[in-house]
Amino acid sequence: MNRRVVITGLGPVSSIGTGVTAFGRALRAGTSGISAISSFDSSGFPHYMAGEVPDFDPKALLRTLSTAEWGRTSLFAAAAARLAVEDAGIDEKVLAGAAAGSSIGTTSGESQVIEALTAEWVHSGLAEVTPAYAAQVPASRLAAAVNQELRLTGEAVTLSTACSASNYALGYAYDQIVTGDADYMIAGGADSVCRWAHAGFYRLGALTEKVCSPFDKDRSGILTGEGGAALFLETLESATERGAHIYAEVLGYGLNCDANHMVAPDPVSIAACMRRAHHNAGITPADVDYICAHGTGTPANDAMEAQAVVEVFGTRPPPISSIKSMLGHTMGAASGFGAIAAALALDEGFLPPTTNYRTPDPELPAIDPVPNESRPAQPRVVQNNGFAFGGNNAITILGRVA
Amino acid sequence: MSEAREKHLDELREIVAEVLEVEPEEITETGSFVEEHEADSLRAIEILARIEKKYKIDIPQSELPRMENLKAVHDVVATQAGWQD
Repeated sequence: MNRRVVITGLGPVSSIGTGVTAFGRALRAGTSGISAISSFDSSGFPHYMAGEVPDFDPKALLRTLSTAEWGRTSLFAAAAARLAVEDAGIDEKVLAGAAAGSSIGTTSGESQVIEALTAEWVHSGLAEVTPAYAAQVPASRLAAAVNQELRLTGEAVTLSTACSASNYALGYAYDQIVTGDADYMIAGGADSVCRWAHAGFYRLGALTEKVCSPFDKDRSGILTGEGGAALFLETLESATERGAHIYAEVLGYGLNCDANHMVAPDPVSIAACMRRAHHNAGITPADVDYICAHGTGTPANDAMEAQAVVEVFGTRPPPISSIKSMLGHTMGAASGFGAIAAALALDEGFLPPTTNYRTPDPELPAIDPVPNESRPAQPRVVQNNGFAFGGNNAITILGRVA
Repeated sequence: MSEAREKHLDELREIVAEVLEVEPEEITETGSFVEEHEADSLRAIEILARIEKKYKIDIPQSELPRMENLKAVHDVVATQAGWQD
């Protein structure tokens, strides 16, 4: 038995649009989701921009969860999952009675809850901490929220492998279905904009002031972002049987760890991860038509990523663009949004742009970042890169169903 | 050598030694943090952050590559803090 895994539902809750139609339109238009920070008081910080989702309305999106009982990140995850299932058009009752579960990635989990709890503790002492906050902290609640919202009785796994976590989650969900442990899976990731990430990246010198410009000569870092990204997965057989719209097939994935430096990316290890993903997906570099980059916009990431790409693909690599130019760095959700963008690229026939691109960087190998405007194209195979602190690399490969 | 300079060097040596997890005596004025004490970019930022906090100054991150040994750190901090050592 060789079960093929396809994506039949997409659920983006993002700063550039909620729901697949709005998100797809914004990707094509190169819309910016960056605004002045409103979720915490950013006065006192020299930098104050982020990719927030200020109009996120969990009450309007969720049907089961009581929104007051959950933190913002869990609500992002559950709302994204709800949208993905609606987009897939599968009967909820069927899902609730089936072998169905979720795997959700994150970097900082319920960061806003942790900050609120810490503030209470520091200002008023431990006795004054709101008990409900303590209950909302565990990151494991992200996947639990998804399962509870959709009444899924299979696995509920939260993976905290930071900025590549959604790709880890997608690989995990793929395995669940290939092995027959599950028939349906929700895979994705979620994170919230928080003061600690903003402060941390600022202190590291990795936070740009106002505009994130990946692969540009003058790029100067990330902007933090937030949101929930979810993909609905099932077997090709089941999707065909119920006449579902298939966005893409999950061809495979590759994972590895630099096992070296906490924040400096290692191009040799990243190249090895790409080869591992290709091998697992049963493709060669020549098959890849587009790379959805990790592309954070830091000088180090983009240089190392481009170097690894050329190492694997040779001097004429496929186009490689970064949607972080529009969304900012949504942390644990980032490679989930990348996977959604990759699925849309395959399904609708376009390449999302790297916005804010002005000057080619002579220090980088020659790459095509799809500058500033999306491009009509008919990719058949797309590579979605995700790298994380700790050298935790995860790459997924999606393809058109052939 | 002025007393002020000596005092500042000792304070800076203390900070650097703590971040690099070595004894203060091991930090010489010209010994390279990277080559002799296995410092990296994260340690460098930690040193910079602690110095900024102690002396209540802002050091541009662009100065980091220069701050490769104790003497260079002193020079950079002296400029930013307006020391007349």
